[in-house]
Amino acid sequence: MTQSVDTETLAMLKEVMEDDFNNLINTFLDDARQRLPLLREQLAASDYEALRRTAHSLKGSSSNLGAMPLSELCFQVEHRANEHQLSGVEGILQEIDAEFQQVSDILSQF
Amino acid sequence: MGIQSHVSDDGKELVISIQGRFDFSAHQDFRNSYETLDSQPTRYKVDMNETTYLDSSALGMLLLLRDHAGGNSAEIEIVNCSPDVKKILTISNFEQLFTIE
Amino acid sequence: MSQQAKPLKILIADDTETDRRILEAIVRREGHEVISVCDGQEAVTAYEREQPDIVLLDALMPRLDGFGAARQIKELAGEELVPIIFLTSLSDTESLVRCLEAGGDDFLSKPYNRVILQAKIKAFNRMREMHQEVQIQRDQIASHNDHLMQEQTVAKQVFDNIAHTGCLDASNVKYLLSPLAVFNGDVIVAAIRPSGSMMVLLGDFTGHGLPAAIGAMPLASSFYGMVQKGFSMVDILREVNQKLKQILPIGVFCCASIVDMNFSKGKIRIWNGGLPDCYLHRSGTGEVEPIRSTHLPLGVLDDSSFKDDCLHFEMEVGDRLYMWSDGIIETRNPKGEMYGEERLQQVFAGNKVPGQVFDDIVNSVHEFAGGERDDDLSLIELTMAEPGQIDGGPRDYSPQRHSGMMEWSMDLELQPSTFRLFDPLPLLLNILVEVPGLRTHSGSLYTILAELYSNALEHGVLGLSSELKHTPEGFAEYYQQRQQRLDTLEEGTVAFSMDHRVLGDGGELILKVTDSGTGFDHQNNIDNPHKRVGYSGRGIPLIRTLCHSLRYIGTGNQVEVVFRWDGDD
Repeated sequence: MTQSVDTETLAMLKEVMEDDFNNLINTFLDDARQRLPLLREQLAASDYEALRRTAHSLKGSSSNLGAMPLSELCFQVEHRANEHQLSGVEGILQEIDAEFQQVSDILSQF
Repeated sequence: MGIQSHVSDDGKELVISIQGRFDFSAHQDFRNSYETLDSQPTRYKVDMNETTYLDSSALGMLLLLRDHAGGNSAEIEIVNCSPDVKKILTISNFEQLFTIE
Repeated sequence: MSQQAKPLKILIADDTETDRRILEAIVRREGHEVISVCDGQEAVTAYEREQPDIVLLDALMPRLDGFGAARQIKELAGEELVPIIFLTSLSDTESLVRCLEAGGDDFLSKPYNRVILQAKIKAFNRMREMHQEVQIQRDQIASHNDHLMQEQTVAKQVFDNIAHTGCLDASNVKYLLSPLAVFNGDVIVAAIRPSGSMMVLLGDFTGHGLPAAIGAMPLASSFYGMVQKGFSMVDILREVNQKLKQILPIGVFCCASIVDMNFSKGKIRIWNGGLPDCYLHRSGTGEVEPIRSTHLPLGVLDDSSFKDDCLHFEMEVGDRLYMWSDGIIETRNPKGEMYGEERLQQVFAGNKVPGQVFDDIVNSVHEFAGGERDDDLSLIELTMAEPGQIDGGPRDYSPQRHSGMMEWSMDLELQPSTFRLFDPLPLLLNILVEVPGLRTHSGSLYTILAELYSNALEHGVLGLSSELKHTPEGFAEYYQQRQQRLDTLEEGTVAFSMDHRVLGDGGELILKVTDSGTGFDHQNNIDNPHKRVGYSGRGIPLIRTLCHSLRYIGTGNQVEVVFRWDGDD
């Protein structure tokens, strides 16, 4: 089973960020919590470009924190938005919500 | 282009051989071949067997060697010249300054 | 922690705070200074203000995206190399191509890897430093080159000013010389002599650039100065050779041909030291006579070893003389083959109209070189013409108007106090050689003056008898008496009278020496060659071989010598 967050990446970040590490985690979580509802709004409005950008941004930052499954899900949304193929995106967003919950739990305890 | 030189066993003669084009690019090598010796030879031989071309700066270099070797009292032989090389030496009448074979 | 010798200033632009903060932390840990902004517009403003060394740009940002920001930054940077690294997890090739087109130098994908980022920063910084070094060197080279061009322009002006006095535009002269030939070491000078003949020198110095040009200045200045004053070709050759030998370092010399073309006699005198064969083209028969180099180049030998013997040729009106440097023969075609002498001979062989030869040669060489103009061609054609036909030289040249002392006379009388202390011969000789045509004869003139003066002083004023000199003992006695009488002399004079006038192409010097003595029976003594005995009596026969005529006048206390010289000497 794939881990929701790669702990090696986190350990590396902790070393680099030093005292700023907790701040970084909070920044990521706040940012993600703002973007997840945005994804739904943009899907509802069929705003392909906005949806693509939001997913792209979340894909990047989650990969940087070692949350590879979450990043992969965001990539699928970004890709479909790019192709203007929105069917099935609703399902992916639900998976993203669930995965984010996992990530959030792990990060808060790290 | 290459310059090779060797001193005879008795240390009295320096033979300088010039391969390819003898022109300004050979300047430093040519000078090194006689300026870096421990003792000054009494005779010099410039071997043009493998020299394909000679220009006026090469003539100048030969004059420098002549000056180094004692000017009017220098003993310098230029040997194994191809017809082309010999012609250039002859136009400049260098046989008046060097023994040309 | 950082190995970096010098911290860099690095600009980071990313709208995602998480990513930006991670990147800031990584870059700071490497010891660099970070400027951090949230979009492309801010990135451009920050670039202008901070002039960072390296820029890290996210591709997708609000307001101005990474592509637009990269374009503006590259434009602001101008010649400066500012490495731009795109921060992206873009995976499609099309987007990556857009990054490159916008001026991106590399990519860094998310998630960020410290080691890779560190390596990229190092590599780009080295590239940036090398670029700066190359630019500094390029600017130095450009400035050196400007400087050199400026120097060459000045040098060329100086040379042109000297060379301008010549007669290269005369109607019987055709020549080819690149405007910057003096920097190829090639030089052509030409001038009309006071006698009306034309003297031309074509020279080829070893080397290129300023070193080759330097020798051309004294050469041209000696040549023009001396030709104008009527010095002979041999004098000019010797002077130029000596000057070049003195100035130029060993190994730098001048291959040259010099010719004196005498239109009134239809003759040339030519000296070739180190240039390829000159050609004499006969217009009547089409034959070509090569004139071989028989001497070492100018500037090689010192004056005592220098050989000045010239070759003489008759030329009909319309015959042509060609002189060239080795540039023509050594012109190469695109295959690298040399033009060579045979092709040159073929041009002459194929010629039907002598007036076309010059153009035929030039065309043939250019065609051979594949249409490319070669700056190293120096060529001159001189056509024998009727005297008076030549219209290129400055107007004030004519056989009647010689420069230097031409028509003059002077008298000098020496008295006893002077005989004892002063030798008048150097003074007189100095005056005589002011006549350029007499300069070549200074040796003969000295002998004549010396013989006449000692006769006038010893036999005329001091009354010594040459009879004494018939025996070795008497010979010594003679000089003892000479000194005694000179020391006690109270009266007596020797007078010199000199008169010089123009005669034909040259001139005539009439020299009279009168002493205060009683004279002698010259009819029976001097004029009889059988009288020569022992150690005396050689003076007068010697003078006779050196001058046009010698005669004693009156009681024999006066002697007159006529010395003639030819402008063609």
